[in-house]
Amino acid sequence: MQKSTILFLISFLFLVTSCATNNLEKELKPVTLENTVYNVPYFANPEIDYAYKANISVYGNDMSGIFIAKKINPTTHRVVFTTEFGNKLLDFEISETDFKVNSIVDELNRKILINTLKTDFKLLLKNKFLIKEQLEDTENKVYKSEDGSEFNYLFVSKTEDKLFKIVHSTKRKDQININFTSENNTFAENIIIQHYNIKLRIELNYLETN
Amino acid sequence: MKIKIAIIALILCFCNLSLLAQEQKMTETEIVSFKKTVKEVATKIKSLSTDFVQYKHLDFLSKDIETSGKMAFKEPNMLQWQYKKPYNYSIVFKNGKILINDEGKKSAMDVSSSKIFAKINKLIVGSVSGNMFDDKEFVISYFKNKTNNITKFIPKDAALKKYIKQIELTFDKDDATVIQVKLLESSEDYTRIVLKNKIINAKVDNSIFN
Repeated sequence: MQKSTILFLISFLFLVTSCATNNLEKELKPVTLENTVYNVPYFANPEIDYAYKANISVYGNDMSGIFIAKKINPTTHRVVFTTEFGNKLLDFEISETDFKVNSIVDELNRKILINTLKTDFKLLLKNKFLIKEQLEDTENKVYKSEDGSEFNYLFVSKTEDKLFKIVHSTKRKDQININFTSENNTFAENIIIQHYNIKLRIELNYLETN
Repeated sequence: MKIKIAIIALILCFCNLSLLAQEQKMTETEIVSFKKTVKEVATKIKSLSTDFVQYKHLDFLSKDIETSGKMAFKEPNMLQWQYKKPYNYSIVFKNGKILINDEGKKSAMDVSSSKIFAKINKLIVGSVSGNMFDDKEFVISYFKNKTNNITKFIPKDAALKKYIKQIELTFDKDDATVIQVKLLESSEDYTRIVLKNKIINAKVDNSIFN
């Protein structure tokens, strides 16, 4: 093969991969957009104290504690993570546009960790997604929302009309999966946040204290 | 006039009641006597088991997060906190080690890796064994109300002070043992642990500390 042909093939392949759509979309079929907004119910009620037992696995290390979230005003959630004893490990305030660290213990005070949790919690607590496209497969409706240069895909089951998964991805790769298990569709009893680019998994199980 | 007197009497009565419920500082003589009694009682305690209810109070939540379980202590320094509701989680302090059992998943770490745990452990074990009145570690103040004696510990250690502003131990006046532990992170946020159904010198099997 001539050098120029090889060069052409390489550039062509590069072009194809860089323009390629996410693998996730290959399994789906585009349909007409029903709504331009999707409201997530799971952390939306300002009257509920959302408290979960949290198990975090990061690069083979396990840690656990209590994850607490509350909508403190129409745009902001307060998020606190404590040990089982109740010692506060971190305390954040998160909104679409703002992020504030109220406190964090020295052991966790690492920029990379704070930024990762900020992304995760922002996605987890987001109440309203603007939908650009709608896709589907036989069982689910999938709403595609833009997130800067990245995307969020919201998977809603057709039978129960229940949001059970959010996939955060770049143009080519899935980065974060959030899986929800909800009985009543307004509250998630179990949540799993799984990262694909780093070895991080957060599992939240609702604390039924009463 | 009669009505006026009745009202004043009523107000005085309420003031009196609130005074009774209020904490008063112990006198020097009372402090000496209190410390002596606690030490005397503590030297007789070889083991202790008790139920506990833990209330995590965060200012922004509408109600406290309640967890409960059993606590067991055995001389010289074995301590187990076992949470049974709403999840199974136990933490054992033994020979400089912290052993954790989280829903069957076991892990261990050195006490030295968690200064806070080490200090809290020392304090709780100390309150049982009578060696807690350590002026080098804490600024200690002594209070009393109608039914209880209360000691307040302000950490001198800057690292510990960052996490725990103050520790309060409430003692039953009758048997001079701890009935409540309160860990204050700030004026608004604290963990309150109420100990009840206490059994002193009951048989506590060593295997629970494994």
